[in-house]
Amino acid sequence: MSEERVGFFTDTSVCIGCKACEVACKEWNAIPEDGLSLTAMSYDNTQALGASTWRHVAFIEQPRPEGRTELPLAQGESTAQETPVGGDGELRWLMSSDVCKHCTHAACLDVCPTGSLFRTEFGTVVVQEDICNGCGYCVPACPYGVIEQRPHDGRAFKCTMCYDRLGAGREPACAKACPTESIQFGPLDELRERAALRVDQLHEAGVTDARLYGHDPDDGVGGDGAFFLLLDRPEVYGLPPDPVVTTRDLPAMWQHAGTAALSLLGGLAACFALTGRGRR
Amino acid sequence: MAQLDGDCKGYFLMGENPAVGSANTRLQRLGMANLDWLVVRDFSLIESATWWKDGPEIETGELRTEDIGTEVFFFPAAAHTEKSGSFTNTNRWVQWHHQAVEPEGDARSDLWFMYHLGRRIKEELAGSTDPMDRPVLDLVWDYPVDGELDEPAADAVLAEISGHGPGGDPLSAYTELKDDGSTRCGCWIYCGVYADGVNQAARKKPEWEQDWVAAEWAWAWPANRRILYNRASAAPDGTPWSERKKYVWWDPGQGRWTGRDVPDFVPDRAPDFEPDEDATGPDALRGDDPFIMQADGKGWLYTPAGLEDGPLPTHYEPQDSPFPNALHPSTPRNPVRHLMPREGNRYHPSGDEKGAEVFPYVVTTHRLTEHFTAGGMSRWSEYLSELQPEFFCEVSPALARERGLENGGWATIVTARNAVEARVLVTDRIRPLRVEGRAVHQIGLPFHWGPNGVARGDAANELMAIALDPNAHIQEDKALTADIRAGRRPRGPDLPKLVAEYRSRAGITPDTGTEVRK
Ligand code: SF4
Repeated sequence: MSEERVGFFTDTSVCIGCKACEVACKEWNAIPEDGLSLTAMSYDNTQALGASTWRHVAFIEQPRPEGRTELPLAQGESTAQETPVGGDGELRWLMSSDVCKHCTHAACLDVCPTGSLFRTEFGTVVVQEDICNGCGYCVPACPYGVIEQRPHDGRAFKCTMCYDRLGAGREPACAKACPTESIQFGPLDELRERAALRVDQLHEAGVTDARLYGHDPDDGVGGDGAFFLLLDRPEVYGLPPDPVVTTRDLPAMWQHAGTAALSLLGGLAACFALTGRGRR
Repeated sequence: MAQLDGDCKGYFLMGENPAVGSANTRLQRLGMANLDWLVVRDFSLIESATWWKDGPEIETGELRTEDIGTEVFFFPAAAHTEKSGSFTNTNRWVQWHHQAVEPEGDARSDLWFMYHLGRRIKEELAGSTDPMDRPVLDLVWDYPVDGELDEPAADAVLAEISGHGPGGDPLSAYTELKDDGSTRCGCWIYCGVYADGVNQAARKKPEWEQDWVAAEWAWAWPANRRILYNRASAAPDGTPWSERKKYVWWDPGQGRWTGRDVPDFVPDRAPDFEPDEDATGPDALRGDDPFIMQADGKGWLYTPAGLEDGPLPTHYEPQDSPFPNALHPSTPRNPVRHLMPREGNRYHPSGDEKGAEVFPYVVTTHRLTEHFTAGGMSRWSEYLSELQPEFFCEVSPALARERGLENGGWATIVTARNAVEARVLVTDRIRPLRVEGRAVHQIGLPFHWGPNGVARGDAANELMAIALDPNAHIQEDKALTADIRAGRRPRGPDLPKLVAEYRSRAGITPDTGTEVRK
């Protein structure tokens, strides 16, 4: 890595669900439209990340019969309070802009046979469309279900963290477009510090459910290059609670396979030796 | 209405789509079908440009293309990035934007269209001795044009609106205007937007280089004043009401009003000034009369003239309402509302009137972030359309149960005007209202769709009656009553039949809902 590792910190507590990130991403990266039907799942007609969706804003409608937490919107002024409400349909609307996690230990990259997927000088994980041969190995390898093959094309696509923009010293299109700074871009270390402060601030304000996701370098993928501040458990947002790099056991597996192959070879050699001797 | 009556013969539509965005879209289209000519300037073939060949009334058989006499012209329009010009926001700021790229193909700016149309009309009339043509022939129409497309200079138009003095010098404020013909100005409120020969609207000084009022960001009409009647930010004695929020105040040393903004007051009128008994006009205002546009300088709760009603609001029920008026039982609706009762624009029985139960639910229309008004700028964009691809209605789980509606299925919503179909979105966000002791269900309808474009659907405004507020004549489309039923709407002639059935079931007559008082 010749440059500092950069990443995304997506603070879902300030996301307003405008989807500017989705549109900016598609505009900049010239991604095709992928579906014009209503899902009837709240205001989410995107549904999931995929080959032609590199940012996905989830809309989660949550009944909160036990009272709801109001976010302190003005910085420093704590206005959070428990408002008692009956179970008469009072709810909160969680919005969260999901994206490729740019894992520290990225399984997609591990399994890619062509080198199309590579780690950039910025520490991000990028798939090169002119090299990808469409084998699809990366698809099941991703623990988050991010990367996907584009139908009728076969090649795999996903967020590049706007590799072309980073090279030109610019921030990714989604972060640039986000009007609330829900999507923050920058050196990963700085983002982690900022995120920790934000969680403390929310906790102090009474938003006890606020938590970080993917920030920990000791988690199953060695920490995400794109991590999140969530207001509920990761499962609520459709995120795996304990992601593990699917190639974690690969080295051990290779070792086993290697030993097996060696003993097989040894056996064969012995066979040949024996038969040879017998013929002579 | 004048179109339907045959009084209005021609219609220019520039960036407007009444076949989707105006109340009672069916009547809007029937009105356009009664014109001699219609000019539509837009980015794509919006519904207001194509109703004559594939509109809803062609489908129902109410109109036949070959019978329509309207000559329809469509001109592709340039987008804001393809032309220079200004935006004026509701804060009265005139903000200039510069052209970034040339328009593609035949697309031209509205300014280009109006200028060259005027030029051609003048050429056409040249030499005419008909006194009727005199005003057009005498009109000065000499804007500089440039570029390959002969685009008129928007800047020159702004300078003309701002105004010039006797020697041709730019005026800097409307106070310099004279009634002796020596000055000229396009509109007094904009006088000074081109002060010193500089486009003041194009100022973009960043916030960190000026105070929070940001007087050097663009220009506000009138006189670059950011808050109107700002004399009221100071107490009658001219000192700020609040030190922290002080805005405009009297400087006794200089004998003038001063502050963060341009004072909206006679600059040197002291707070304790008392006018002569026989003073008139602005001279008759006291030093503590901040509302200088009012004859007596005071703020008014009710006006004897100028407005039909108010401005202090009271509570009236909407034109179509499931409830009587709890506050004014004898006057359920605004007695001076502007109604247009006619065939196709029938109103519902309301409150405790017979037949009101035929339309038991409340409809409210709203917008979505992903689409812009009648959709001309968004329903043709794939990236926006895929985010909100179809017309839908939002209902509560309770209403869904009551009417057998399924999430993701279809529903038909019916009023006395028309019926539309929409996909169903069942959500806890839409809650029944408890009013006057009973629950009433709400139906939320985003109004952006129409039958053309990438994202298509029925237009919610098919359901609206034309009923206007008495002062600003704003269409009432945020609250009305309707029925909802599971399934798609009928096609062809069966659609108007269904709507007629509802009207007769509710006992609707030409007088329904038109009373002033009960
Ligand atoms: S642009 Fe920002 S605020 Fe808007 S949906 Fe995306 S993350 Fe949320």
